[in-house]
Amino acid sequence: MLSSVQTPRLLRFQSFSLKCLHTHPTTAPPPPHSQILTIRKSLLSREISAVDLAGTFLNRLRNTEPHLKSFLYVSDVVLKEAEEIDRKIAENEELGPLAGVLVGVKDNICTSDMPSTAGSKILENYRPPFDATAVGKMKKCGAIVIGKTNMDEFGMGSTTEGSGYQVTANPWDLSRVPGGSSGGSAAAVSARQCMVSLGSDTGGSVRQPASFCGVVGLKPTYGRVSRYGLVAYASSLDVIGCFGSSVADAGILLHAISGHDKFDATSSKKEVPDFASQFTARDHLDSKPLKGLRVGLIRETIEDGVDPDIISSIRGAASHLEELGCTVTEVSLPSFSLGLPAYYILASSESSSNLSRYDGIRYGKQVFADELNSLYGESRAGGLGSEVKMRILMGTYALSAGYYDAYYKRAQQVRTLVRESFRAALDENDILISPAAPSAAYKIGEKKNDPLSMYAGDIMTVNVNLAGLPALVLPCGFVDSSSVALPVGVQMISAAFEEEKLLKVGHIFEQTLHGCSFIPPLVADELAC
Amino acid sequence: MGSISALHYLKPTRTANGTSLFNFSKNRISQLPVAFRSYTVKSSVLETPDVPRLAETARISLNSQEIEEFAPKIRQVIDWFGQLQAVDLQSIEPAIRADTEGDNLRGDVPEKFENREELISAVPSFENPYIKVPKVLNKE
Repeated sequence: MLSSVQTPRLLRFQSFSLKCLHTHPTTAPPPPHSQILTIRKSLLSREISAVDLAGTFLNRLRNTEPHLKSFLYVSDVVLKEAEEIDRKIAENEELGPLAGVLVGVKDNICTSDMPSTAGSKILENYRPPFDATAVGKMKKCGAIVIGKTNMDEFGMGSTTEGSGYQVTANPWDLSRVPGGSSGGSAAAVSARQCMVSLGSDTGGSVRQPASFCGVVGLKPTYGRVSRYGLVAYASSLDVIGCFGSSVADAGILLHAISGHDKFDATSSKKEVPDFASQFTARDHLDSKPLKGLRVGLIRETIEDGVDPDIISSIRGAASHLEELGCTVTEVSLPSFSLGLPAYYILASSESSSNLSRYDGIRYGKQVFADELNSLYGESRAGGLGSEVKMRILMGTYALSAGYYDAYYKRAQQVRTLVRESFRAALDENDILISPAAPSAAYKIGEKKNDPLSMYAGDIMTVNVNLAGLPALVLPCGFVDSSSVALPVGVQMISAAFEEEKLLKVGHIFEQTLHGCSFIPPLVADELAC
Repeated sequence: MGSISALHYLKPTRTANGTSLFNFSKNRISQLPVAFRSYTVKSSVLETPDVPRLAETARISLNSQEIEEFAPKIRQVIDWFGQLQAVDLQSIEPAIRADTEGDNLRGDVPEKFENREELISAVPSFENPYIKVPKVLNKE
């Protein structure tokens, strides 16, 4: 029994490290490795063929998919594309950096040879006549798109229960949500149905599911990745992001999809560094590899309203960073709480405008009517789900004549405040840390009928989108639910276009976090073989 | 004037079920350089959302059951949006987006989209060379 004289801090830290160990009582698991680099080596040395590799993933996908439902569509040409990679290897042709890598793509990112529905019935069976720039870039690098992943309709939700098609389960506990809106992409990487995946993040839709599913989630700087072919939700906030089972994989994927694109005027012309090439292997790290790094723990994210287990995990992560040589201090973001209502005003307003294109005329579901306005109204009524309709209506209200100044403009002013408070905090710190969500994964159905309690779950992530900053979420521990341990992620935030720094810190963090394995029980036995 | 009563209405409701979230805001708002009651709201009163009218504006045909279901939820969220009215933002410039980098606009030069056929094939009702819609009549 723990004695009552121990300080709260020590208690927290102990429970943190114990929780890491208890899923593997006998042997300490190795730190995560880059699947992308490992398979590249195996392919080049001809240890394994791309076809065998694809077969293994397709098998696992088939076995786990009835439980998880993370995919809306699975490609039927995966093996054919893998054969092409094998042919290139046999003929010693040059291989792209993602050759043979199996990628899941969130269904709001356009793929020319597969349906792209954004999780909405209004786009059922819609096949775009082009690839999103991010998809095109991955394919050029040799990646194989294994399928399209489930999501909350148009990205509006935090659980993936808002999909027009199916509810995705969390691989760690099938009775829980995977998070959202990129829940399918997170669950698929977590259950090793694919190696990496693309998601999108408007208010936390990559980072919160990464935390819920125990995978790495990377939200790049606004403008780092072209959004051409990303179904628009809230254009001032939307970014395409990456999921991987290691920091290196998320970084390699980001490198492949980043860069300016003439089809997206908001995409940056800044140079794209080779994010993962500077990584130091674990054996070559000295005892204080992050010496001198100033880390700010955002005070408002570890206050009342946040699950105490989450706070302990984040404090545990802070202690781990201190052990690596960082100086950790608490920092306050005064405008933090204003970010949430400002975010929802901006997002619903912009969505009411962006989603006006779904009118049943040029694509998508059309309901027959003998008058044009009825055709619009009925097509939209039949094709859009409840949450989407409500957000469009809220946005329509906020943008109504005479209300613009009271809502949209005010929200934009709050965005300025948020940006400034981040700037001040990042002047004094190299990175900021916080939880990625106020709780671990909750039960399916738990928050479905209460919009405000669901919106409240986005408090940790929306400010980062308002400021356009990059953020990396990586697993840092577990909390106990009734039956199983659930993963928790720590969020690391940096100044704009400093993904390289985040990835470097994240890589050292994950390589030195002893005793944790973030492979869900669902597939752990199979992967151990 | 009229705006004051509207803003009373818009003050965030700190009900029991919202406390965990709004506890955050209570402290923080109080730390802001708040000159309470300096509103930029125009003369018109902010009215409670009229869901059937909004639905008509947004061109979504809602049935009565949906209106009944959505109205309280939408009102609750709009109420909650209202908390921003209590923050002094008068001297703050609005930010239209993250502003991580300026625009990289390309020249306004038309380009041919190569996959025209597939683009057309997505149109639900098409009679070459037109997209077909119901009659558009001036009813009134």
